[in-house]
Amino acid sequence: MTEPPQTAEPTPNPAPPRPSRPAPGGRRHRARTPAAVRRRAALAGAAVSALLILAIVLGSRLLRDFDSALLPYAVATVFLAFGVAHRYTVWISAPGARRLFRQGWRSFFSAANFRKAPTALPKMIATYLGFQKFLGARSHARWAAHQLIFWGCLLAAAITFPLTWGWFTFTSSTGSGPGYEMRIWGFKIIGFDALNAVGWLMFHGLDIAAVLVIAGASYFLWRRMKDRGAITGQRFAYDLVPLLALIVISVTGLLLTFSSIFLHGGGYEFLAVLHMVSVVFTLIYIPFGKFFHIVQRPAAVGMQLFKYTSRRKDEDEILTCRRCHEPIDTAPYVENLQGTMRDLDLGFDQWAEYCPRCKRVLRGTAYLDHVKKGFK
Amino acid sequence: MMGRTIFIDPGRCIGCQACVSACRECDSHRGKSMIHLDYPDEGRSVASLPTVCMHCEDPVAPCAEVCPADAILVTADGVVQQADTTRCIGCANCVNACPFGVPKIDLQAKLQMKCNLCYDRTAYGLAPMCATVCPTGALFYGTLDELRAERPGVQVADSFTFGTTTVSTGVAMVVPADKVQWPVPGGLPVVEINGVDVSEANANKGGGGRREGVR
Amino acid sequence: MTATDPVTTPGRLLPLDPSLAPPGTRQFRDAGGIPADRWHADQNGETLVPTHCCFCGVQCGMYLRVDHHGKVFGVEPRNHDINRMRLCPKGINAYQQVNHPDRLTAPLMRRGRDEEFREVSWDEALDHTVAEIRRIQSAYGNDAFGLLGGASLFSEKTYLVGKFARVALRSRHVDYNGRLCMVSAAGANKLAFGIDRAGNPFSDILLTDCLLIAGSNVGECFPVMTQYLWGARDRGATLIVVDPRETAIARTADVHVALKPGTDSAFFNAVLHVVVAEGLTDEAYLAAHTTGWDEVRKTVAAYPPARSAEICGVPEEQIVQVARMFADADKAMAWHARGVEHHSQGVENCLTIINLCVATGNIGKPGAGYGTITGQGNGQGGREHGQKSDLLPGGRSITNPEHRRQICEIWGIDETELPPAGTSMMEMVWQMQRKEIRGLVGICNNPFVSLPNYATVKDGYDTLEFHAQFDFFLSETAANAHVVFPVTVWAEDEGVMANAEARVVKHNKAQEPPAGVRTDTWVLCELARRLGAGDKFAFPDSRSVFEELRIASAGTVNDYYGITYERLEETGGIAWPCPSTEHPGTPRLFEDGRTYHPDGKIHLQVVEWHPPMDPYSEEYPLSLTTGRTVAHFLSGNQTRRLGALVEQTPRPWVEVHPSHGFRNGDPVRVVTRRGSEVFPALVTEAIRPDTVFVPYHWPVPTAANALTIDALDPRSKIPEYKVCAARIEAADHVDEVPAPPTAPGHQAYPETQVSRTDPLPPTSPQGRGTAERS
Repeated sequence: MTEPPQTAEPTPNPAPPRPSRPAPGGRRHRARTPAAVRRRAALAGAAVSALLILAIVLGSRLLRDFDSALLPYAVATVFLAFGVAHRYTVWISAPGARRLFRQGWRSFFSAANFRKAPTALPKMIATYLGFQKFLGARSHARWAAHQLIFWGCLLAAAITFPLTWGWFTFTSSTGSGPGYEMRIWGFKIIGFDALNAVGWLMFHGLDIAAVLVIAGASYFLWRRMKDRGAITGQRFAYDLVPLLALIVISVTGLLLTFSSIFLHGGGYEFLAVLHMVSVVFTLIYIPFGKFFHIVQRPAAVGMQLFKYTSRRKDEDEILTCRRCHEPIDTAPYVENLQGTMRDLDLGFDQWAEYCPRCKRVLRGTAYLDHVKKGFK
Repeated sequence: MMGRTIFIDPGRCIGCQACVSACRECDSHRGKSMIHLDYPDEGRSVASLPTVCMHCEDPVAPCAEVCPADAILVTADGVVQQADTTRCIGCANCVNACPFGVPKIDLQAKLQMKCNLCYDRTAYGLAPMCATVCPTGALFYGTLDELRAERPGVQVADSFTFGTTTVSTGVAMVVPADKVQWPVPGGLPVVEINGVDVSEANANKGGGGRREGVR
Repeated sequence: MTATDPVTTPGRLLPLDPSLAPPGTRQFRDAGGIPADRWHADQNGETLVPTHCCFCGVQCGMYLRVDHHGKVFGVEPRNHDINRMRLCPKGINAYQQVNHPDRLTAPLMRRGRDEEFREVSWDEALDHTVAEIRRIQSAYGNDAFGLLGGASLFSEKTYLVGKFARVALRSRHVDYNGRLCMVSAAGANKLAFGIDRAGNPFSDILLTDCLLIAGSNVGECFPVMTQYLWGARDRGATLIVVDPRETAIARTADVHVALKPGTDSAFFNAVLHVVVAEGLTDEAYLAAHTTGWDEVRKTVAAYPPARSAEICGVPEEQIVQVARMFADADKAMAWHARGVEHHSQGVENCLTIINLCVATGNIGKPGAGYGTITGQGNGQGGREHGQKSDLLPGGRSITNPEHRRQICEIWGIDETELPPAGTSMMEMVWQMQRKEIRGLVGICNNPFVSLPNYATVKDGYDTLEFHAQFDFFLSETAANAHVVFPVTVWAEDEGVMANAEARVVKHNKAQEPPAGVRTDTWVLCELARRLGAGDKFAFPDSRSVFEELRIASAGTVNDYYGITYERLEETGGIAWPCPSTEHPGTPRLFEDGRTYHPDGKIHLQVVEWHPPMDPYSEEYPLSLTTGRTVAHFLSGNQTRRLGALVEQTPRPWVEVHPSHGFRNGDPVRVVTRRGSEVFPALVTEAIRPDTVFVPYHWPVPTAANALTIDALDPRSKIPEYKVCAARIEAADHVDEVPAPPTAPGHQAYPETQVSRTDPLPPTSPQGRGTAERS
């Protein structure tokens, strides 16, 4: 009759949030990558790395502009190129990705599509990859933080990659400024005065990037420490390491500036090494962890373009549910999905022509008719 | 076969949708309800069917297999997670491939969402929200032994047929004792008999059509 | 982005984003109106406050989640032994009322109904109210001012309502909305047993062998109670459901008696006829513990199954089957609710069920007995302590001189000052029409939706010279008042409620009320002080009221003396009578075979069936019956503002049998002698062809109660909501559900109102399927 003492109840809020079941990064059902795919991926990786090395050599005017102090960075980018190309190849070899990859490029290269909607693709790229409108629909705060990281990283990459590859040079006719000129591949792009605003921006671009990244990454880190939904599923290597890496890179980068301005170079050597190590680690990590989404994301634009162009053709292109006649998606998309399902031997690809609700209702009806109508 | 999982008994379900509201309260669902509640016998009776993710075991997670972005992970204990937010591209492959009609998609956020067995609760030793609040036990979370302790002699099945394919799942359904050796029909209707298309007959047989035309 | 399909409108610009997905996979608006990025998943500093649900009479335990700012932001299931962590959709969403944007946060006032409300200070609102009370009472007498309470109030507050009316207002006219809910069962219980409560606890259901549910859609109105029904069936118990509709529990029941509305007593008399005829009565029990059995036996002899089968529209064999099933069971139990009580012979319907239980000896044993399921959270406690027109605290009668003397002593007033018995809620409305009552304070009720025959109710309230209303959301009734006092929701104050088992449970305070909001206790005491009765109302909080309530109930049948806040917190609930602080409470009554009548016997009552008050005719051939749906509660003032519940069931419908030729969603006009309204048709075989059903939670022009009849049971004065004569006809378009009223300058929280204008009926009476939400 009476309630058991409170202690008998399961404590709904145990103190330390400790996920007992961290999701492993891998998918246990995924069969080992076939040897052919592995070979193809290694080949692609090697080719892309070789191309990058060639581009570095040529872009630095046969290493004349190459800064040997930045060699570790350059080497890391070559590894990065290998890793990205390798994983990318493996990724698009899986049935789902392969088919969508093809459809995306087919839509991209279709002259008819381009004529009909020339602005579609640039608009998609801008809203989707640039401003990431879709993140705003998930959470405004996360969108803002992600934008900070995104633009910060983009700015930093735009400055540092060409520098490490020896594609950019800053030279001063007087040897030590204040008049500088910036050259790409040896061609003069602009001249500027290090003491004016443009000059300040040119020299402090990385510091600005660091501030943006620190702000964004700190928000995410803070959220990962207090949001129960985020906490329970998170994995250290997958979710926290990338944020920590970004913060370490940015902080050490800023400290380098701080050291040279205020400490007259005090601790610079140590900071430079720390900075370099963190950058190299992050670059090499990109193909394996969370950062791979940077490489994967553009696939969304391909998917979007495919759906958009197949939908534009005409009204018959919408596939409706066989039972309730509500639209499911564009017919080429469903056909593409059914192909994927057949590739995977899933055996119920015709089921894709029913909408999810009718699948459930039909299963419910079947249960009522053939399994059990009532309580017993 | 099955460990601690959800057992579904539509015969006990009263269609109250407590599960639908409760699903939303789980912190990892962030105010969005993933569970489905359908009234398959519409127009004839108030029978209802709750649908959570069945966490397919063989073939393992068709949704994950068709995912072009490797966004759906399966944990070591067989829980098929919802799409990883950084990877999901919102293509809806999983939505239309799932034989049980489980995943949902937020078109604006370009994000798939589905039942994840409330991993933020199960990780703390709590039952998923839907099975915790279900007033009738139509959704039960626990082991088969725990279920049998409450309902002596109850039988369950964890495989479903779709046409010629059988899918075995991590989540099980209650079946009468004389049906336990058969897979539960998945509902895939017969589309062709001796080369004759009977899909129209099937379409008219259902109680659907609540929404007329395209809205 | 809505999933509006641009394909249907060629020429429109195709969105670049994918905008196409199958139905039911793309809608997330059932999020209760909270945008995803404002979802509160921050666990740091969260505390869980143990309390109970504010809604129905099951009183499920729950935790409210309170953040480190002290604000309620969520709910967590609680393993209380009433509900064992189970909750229904209303309970899960209840917390969203607490910090809801529609909350009233300042008193509203206006001089006339043609003016707009303006926000005023508490002093101005209280002073104006007191001035109006004084003016009306001095001109027309004390009885010209009335008070209407509610059964969703804590027992402390219901006690205060009764005391305020008798001591501060000194008016006989006090009643409460439990009059629309529980009173038939109360009347029957008093007549038969001398005590007004269910005989057995819910847990006894698990022990029974045959369970009879009469006129209760348990699956929708008391969803969490279903676990007891299913638990009994898991053990092998048989289930009999008596209901004109095939509800969720009736669908799988062993026997579903789909009788015609308004024929319950004919049915149960016939069942008892068969029990007698087949010699299945427990004669030893009847001889030892009852009076009046001979008369009852003679009466039911006139109800052979053939006659009642004709009246009830059920097969003759079914009556025999029910009789054998119930009487043959080792332990049998009957529970009933509004389906049999909301009738012009509501008391008698309950009595026929009591007669059946008593005749088969199923009283006062584990797994055998009788119960009534209270509809409102405090439907049981709300009627015990004096807010009913004829009752004083402790279930005392206001017409009994001894009882009057006792209460006057406790209250410290002279016996001549205590007014006589008043009239019932519906009768008070008629008195308002006749200007016998000219001023009214309403607390925790919404008669514009909940009373029958809306036109009469509106007229009565419009005739009032002054009307003040207490509420936390502006109800349809409050929107018609002169003064509205913003008061607390249940989670902002503490207090006790008694659930359907007569178990007293404690609700705890989870957060401070918003600025400008006061407790009902504070407002009543403040009004009393300004009326010059401050010394009788020196109650700083609920606890002090409860202490007086304990004393006022000591020694009566409804004895709360042994119940204290501390004991309630320790035990999770105590069933009254509980005469001392060592007493464990009384979960099961009559275990010693004695009732609370002076002779200790069960007084069996003779019941003759009579047809409903609204006669059928050529013009009005059908029965209209009304009831609840699972997503909404009573007048809907609370639940029609909660996003997830609106998503589940955005609007009322009319449930019709396919034989009428309507298709799902067709606009159907329901016409009765009092009005007509158009609802979308929900065509289903799960209802009798001669009956239509409309749920009652919505206001005009979609109010079932614009159609129902204001005929009353002569004893309990309960209106006959469950049956009136009607016809249906095709119409052009359905009436749209109006937005819930809000304070001037506010708009009903738009996130929650999106689907309110959906013109279609729900997929099933329980609501729209998750894929049918557009």
